[in-house]
Amino acid sequence: MTARGLTPSLLLQLLVVAGAAGARWRGQGTTPHLQSIILGRCAEYDALVNPDPRGRNCTAIWEAFKVVLVKDPCSVLPSDYDRFIDLSRHSIPRDKSLFWENNHLLVTSYSENGLRFLPLCSVLYGRIGDFLSWCRQENASGLDYQSCPTSEDCENNAVDSFWKRASMQYARESSGVISVMLNGSEPSGAYPVKGFFADFEIPYLQKDKITRIEIWVMHEIGKPKVESCGEGTVKILEERLKKMGFQYSCINDHLPVKLLKCVDHSTHPDCVLNSAAASREIPPLWAEHGASHIVPFLVALASAVHM
Amino acid sequence: MANHRCGSVSEEEPCCDISKKTKICLCVFFGLLVAVIIAVPVGILMWRHPLQEWKGKGTTAHFYEILLGRCYTYTQIVRPELGHKDCQKIGKAFTTAFLSKDPCSSTEQDYQPLLELTAQTVPCNKTLFWSKSSQLAHDYTRVQGDLFTLEDTLLGYMADGLKWCGDPRSSEMNYQSCPDWREDCSNNSFSVFWNAVSKRFAEDACGVVHVVLNGSISNTFDERSTFGRVEVFNLRPEKVHQLQAWVMHDVGGVHRPIRLLQCVKNPEPSSCRFYV
Repeated sequence: MTARGLTPSLLLQLLVVAGAAGARWRGQGTTPHLQSIILGRCAEYDALVNPDPRGRNCTAIWEAFKVVLVKDPCSVLPSDYDRFIDLSRHSIPRDKSLFWENNHLLVTSYSENGLRFLPLCSVLYGRIGDFLSWCRQENASGLDYQSCPTSEDCENNAVDSFWKRASMQYARESSGVISVMLNGSEPSGAYPVKGFFADFEIPYLQKDKITRIEIWVMHEIGKPKVESCGEGTVKILEERLKKMGFQYSCINDHLPVKLLKCVDHSTHPDCVLNSAAASREIPPLWAEHGASHIVPFLVALASAVHM
Repeated sequence: MANHRCGSVSEEEPCCDISKKTKICLCVFFGLLVAVIIAVPVGILMWRHPLQEWKGKGTTAHFYEILLGRCYTYTQIVRPELGHKDCQKIGKAFTTAFLSKDPCSSTEQDYQPLLELTAQTVPCNKTLFWSKSSQLAHDYTRVQGDLFTLEDTLLGYMADGLKWCGDPRSSEMNYQSCPDWREDCSNNSFSVFWNAVSKRFAEDACGVVHVVLNGSISNTFDERSTFGRVEVFNLRPEKVHQLQAWVMHDVGGVHRPIRLLQCVKNPEPSSCRFYV
């Protein structure tokens, strides 16, 4: 049956059937081996990152998380994660909180695994869910590995409710200087007026624990600067914080973060470092002709470096 | 009837006739008996399987759960092209390599099955070695997602930062202590593992390979380091036609992207300002 031979209504019917046979929802399906990954992340956090002297019970944390996996994929509320949060929460060091919108990877790189800053994805409950997806099947009890609902499918989906609950907790436990990284090259605006930061973090910030809020508006290297401090949605954010009584400041292209962005664009004109340093640059040295020459070369190189 | 009743009553009577003192003695006796019945097997078990004591830190807590979780994270999320790998098999092969064995007699053969299951192709020109520059090299590959240090390969990712060893008289991991390379023995299960994977990582490298060296210490190229001892000698001349060494100092160095990375850590020097 060629396309030419199909009537419009038959084509439409075929498309409907094809759609039904395809994914039910718009989002990625449940991550395979979800339980092993979550147990492993929890164990790793407890053994290597931030051991709890009382000892964390990762099995109990998994059991608490699991409760949402039996619920209808569009009926999961943030409060369904209350017990999970209760078991996995821990304090956040002062001045280490980093909120963000539209620059997940940059935040992950900059925070250096929690060494420099501790964004939500570096605290235990955030780490557990980072980059994962999960939901129950619509009409059966097992997990749906094909697709899961996004906010466009339904509001009370498992993943969004998780991040809403986690965001609220993270904001509540933040103290000292609060940092916020926004993307000033984002066409729809640096500060999403409806988003996780606006709806589930700002309202839960504890005024008595916070000294001030620092906003960094970062721009993509070589891309247009859609908004900067004091403009557009950034202005809306600044005014909101002012109204709430917070002390705040705003910086365009905060230097350490811009330096990090430049690692990927080191030859771009916007990324050229001070000329005084540039003149000291030595061209990269290389060795050919195989391994037997490499050792003496490296020894010579090492001694040359110290001359 | 009366006789029977008297008979049954008389059978009960010895109980009521036993003195309180005797009752106490009997209770104590039975208590001791139970204690001995429990204590002896436990004592025998413990005497037969005391774990060896070493100078180094013991196996990382929850070693197996961490290993498995990392394997799945790597094969499902970090490099989904490896989604076909069987993490259960890989985890088993890993522990089989050192459990119930003398942790000071480890050989590369012990790890062969594990190496086979975790074989991975690193694209040419994407191999990055490091020596005394771990933080910097890994910060760099975290940003430059297409470059690989050993710790960015499946097996390196799984084992990074973990410690492990077994005991010949037990099927358990030794969480108390593990051999220290210098103070106990050099052929320990931990060091042998890293030598074996480093060797393979170097053997597999092709094209242009890079190494990040630390120019701010006295032994920039240390012939006793894993890079100097193992990796350099296992590069294949027919596959590797160029080695680029990036010698980084505490303030500045040869390779611009890495220098930018250093500036991120310490943006104070004037050399870290942008040219305007």
